[in-house]
Amino acid sequence: MNNIDGSDRHLKTEEAPPPSLLTIVLDTNPHAWAHLSSTLSLSAALANILIFINAHLASGNTNEVAVIASHSHKTSYLYPTKTPSQPTRNGDTNGDVEMNGNGTGRSHQESPNKYRPFAVVESTILQNFAKLLNETNESHLAATPTTLIGGALSLALTYISKSTLQHAPVTSGTENSMAALADAENVHVDRVALTSRILIVSVSGDLANQYIPVMNSIFAAQRKKIPIDILKLAGDTVLLQQASDATGGVYMKPERPEGLLQYLMMAFLPDATARASLVIPSAGGVDFRAACFCHRKVVDVGFVCSVCLSIFCEPNLPDNLCLTCGSYLSLRAALTNPPALIPKKKKKKRKAGTDTATPGGSTPAGSSTPVHP
Amino acid sequence: MSSAAAQYKKKNGTLSVSTDGKTVSWEGEGPGLGIAIADIGNLQQTPATAAKASIKIVVVDTSAQAGNHTFTFTSAAARDDQQMIRGLLQKGIEAAKAQETPAVTPAVATPSGDGGGASGAITMAKTVAASAQQDEDMYADAKLLSDLELQMSLLNSSPALRQRFDRALGEKPASVTMGQFSNQFWSTRLNLLRSHAAEKSQTTGSYNVLSVIKSKNVNGTLMLNLTKEQIEVVFRQHPIVKTAYNETVPPLSEGEFWERFFHSRLFKKLKGERIPDDYITDARLDKYLKYDENADAAQQMLVGTIPLFINIEGNEQNHSQQKGNRQDWTMVPSSNEKAPILRVLNRMSEKLMKDVPLADNHHAPAGQDEDTYKELLLRDLQRASDDNRVVLKVQDQSRFFSAGQSLQSSTSAAAYTKRTPSEVLSILQQDFASINTNSRTPGTDLHSKIAVNDDSDSEDESSVPKKSRVGSRAGRAAATTQIIVAIEKRHLHEDEYPSAKGVLNSEQAAKLGISETILDNLTMTHNTTVEFLHYFWDVYHSGNPERANEVAKLIETLDRSLDRISAVAHAAEAERNAQIEEFQRRNELYTQQTGKKRRFNPDAVKGGASAVAQIMQPLKRAIDAARSQYQSALNEQLAQAAPSNGL
Repeated sequence: MNNIDGSDRHLKTEEAPPPSLLTIVLDTNPHAWAHLSSTLSLSAALANILIFINAHLASGNTNEVAVIASHSHKTSYLYPTKTPSQPTRNGDTNGDVEMNGNGTGRSHQESPNKYRPFAVVESTILQNFAKLLNETNESHLAATPTTLIGGALSLALTYISKSTLQHAPVTSGTENSMAALADAENVHVDRVALTSRILIVSVSGDLANQYIPVMNSIFAAQRKKIPIDILKLAGDTVLLQQASDATGGVYMKPERPEGLLQYLMMAFLPDATARASLVIPSAGGVDFRAACFCHRKVVDVGFVCSVCLSIFCEPNLPDNLCLTCGSYLSLRAALTNPPALIPKKKKKKRKAGTDTATPGGSTPAGSSTPVHP
Repeated sequence: MSSAAAQYKKKNGTLSVSTDGKTVSWEGEGPGLGIAIADIGNLQQTPATAAKASIKIVVVDTSAQAGNHTFTFTSAAARDDQQMIRGLLQKGIEAAKAQETPAVTPAVATPSGDGGGASGAITMAKTVAASAQQDEDMYADAKLLSDLELQMSLLNSSPALRQRFDRALGEKPASVTMGQFSNQFWSTRLNLLRSHAAEKSQTTGSYNVLSVIKSKNVNGTLMLNLTKEQIEVVFRQHPIVKTAYNETVPPLSEGEFWERFFHSRLFKKLKGERIPDDYITDARLDKYLKYDENADAAQQMLVGTIPLFINIEGNEQNHSQQKGNRQDWTMVPSSNEKAPILRVLNRMSEKLMKDVPLADNHHAPAGQDEDTYKELLLRDLQRASDDNRVVLKVQDQSRFFSAGQSLQSSTSAAAYTKRTPSEVLSILQQDFASINTNSRTPGTDLHSKIAVNDDSDSEDESSVPKKSRVGSRAGRAAATTQIIVAIEKRHLHEDEYPSAKGVLNSEQAAKLGISETILDNLTMTHNTTVEFLHYFWDVYHSGNPERANEVAKLIETLDRSLDRISAVAHAAEAERNAQIEEFQRRNELYTQQTGKKRRFNPDAVKGGASAVAQIMQPLKRAIDAARSQYQSALNEQLAQAAPSNGL
């Protein structure tokens, strides 16, 4: 057909790397940041993260970013600002449309020395964070030493899911390409699906009480092929390490948190597309052990409820009922026998008799076990 | 059932061991003999050097067959027979012992034996019960473990498993008997045995026989090879051929009939080929052409036994002819003369499927009973269907943590208590104020905030005690180092499954700096050691005092595994030393030739014992864990046992 009318009817596919959405879950637990303030202050960390975000936005025209704060009493979007109802969204350019001319709060001032998208992200994050900090009062802090990581993860996943849908509307492939062939005037570009990842900048420990919601989020991310990267600045938790391992993300626990920017840039900047051809810096040795639900001990060998998969560190449950879901759960059968290492006198004699008489069993039994009188 | 020709009391006969490993029996001239293996008290055989290969079974006094029975193997391969029977008996004896069932099962006596009518009847009853049960128990653990033939055939079908078996067999300590070993080996692989047994029990069904029979051209004449079985299948699949055969063969000879049949129109029709108009006719066979092909359709159809799911015929609303339309062309019956092959193939398939037993033949034909109806019901579509999901009542998690969750307990929480919440808030707000300059200044100066200054490289050297700053050169360098180390580590571990990822063994070996043979050696050693670790924990946790000696033996074996690992390490070290020497020799040569010296760092040569130690470290840890746990448990039990023994 091309030869007949001289037109070029090839389908154009975008050759640039696919758009990438970076969702940062920033653990803003005030306790932890106050504790860290001598080595790495929150403001410095925020500045470093902002630069990291800029780097991410700069590495692709279509890249997007979302920042979610996981605070001690609530989780909230730092960027983009949640607007009550915006009539239209015009899509996929840096995501900065959210802020265009909406009247919530002060509008940022144009700086002649700053690339505008960067400035927009920066001022939005700072504004929203200031708001979050002002809302926090002492009773919130006294209530818990940790952060709502489970909620923040779910929020991140829902945001990713929404953006993915908005980005690549479901089309049936063949129809689309046929339409493109027919309509030669307009250049059709096959839309490339959004690749997303989650980066959790975590400073709090004690996440075991959110085991179930976090695990559910991990499995959801695994299904959607969304890597969860972990930057663990303080406090350790088995849970998040498992999150990165299960989803193929990067786990980093900096020895020198002062080099934060370097960690961010080196380990976390490549998106899923780039990572396919890189060796990602995840040191092996993931601690797969789980925390038991009854005493929050990290256990080597545990007992698992067959209904709700709760983990217990000892087989003696009250009334043989699972503590979490209340179903009947008897763990007696799961016990292993205590090892018996000394042969019984009487039995041994008989056994020894057959052993020597049986051709092949030439070694006298019990030669290696010292048996005291 | 394994058997061998053997003489008993100077009479010829066959000695056989039953497949379930429970009985051994001899049948031949004179009265037969049956011995329950559980009753065997002792087993003796002539040494391998003796002229006669015989085996002596000593039966304990409580049995009906008490006394000594000597069997002399008479076949040409007498020695092999002896070994086989002995192996089976040993295995059976061990299985019987392991079960620890009180050995009161009466000896299986042949009716003519001296066991007496009563006990014979009992055994008969038992066997019947057993055979009924056999189907369900076919995949039972004990049965799989005692099935030597199954194990052999699995080994033969899987070279990798065979290799592992042979290797482990070769390295097993002499104190572990063959029976113990094979029991242990297979007890960790019951799943393999089970799947193999299932696989073996599958048989191929019947096939379209006419398409298989092909004529061959031999010396210019067409030859047909027809086996008896094939003829049988032809008759079964095509009753018309049977009729034709019955009616025509007395005048014709059998050979003639088949010859004519395979050239007849009937044959072509049955095969579904189109019959050319000028095809040769056969007065005798052509009359069968008009047979009613649907005559046996009714009994072939499975439809009768398949319960109706959705009755499309009952759907009258979309009956297009009622609206005056012509029938859809797909619904119009067409004559099958055009493409008979489709019809023939379909009918053939139906016939073949008919022979396959239904998986769920408990259904009553067509008319549905209540259960079937319920089973087929589309419950999801019911308007008011009950929610039959199991409700998971997850109770509030924090309840369990309330004790440990307060601010005071956990380590990080304890650190937080140094500050009151108000202090925490003020620290944060102050800190945040430094970055969140108010709206009148345009933006934040991120550059100054992150304090990365590449121009000042003397900052950290000049003032050592200064507290490390965020973004300092040292901090960034440390970060780089940490990441690079992590990347290198990951790179080395990347191909944990070399074969799965398509990475060649040689590449892996080169990465580690050891030769391929040593890597292979390591892999083998690792495999067998893991095997023994399996056995160890298996026996250790059995809690059976009778197996205490086995545990001790297995600990010895694990010790020997450590020796094997160090032997490989030595080999690797020797290899590395040779490499270093080679380098040095070349350097000297270079110095002699050019007069210049070249620097050489022996540490740069990878591999050697350290590389082996690095790879084997987890395995060593596993062995050490096993040994230390064994030692501590043993000491504890010895301490407990000592006073009671002293009394």
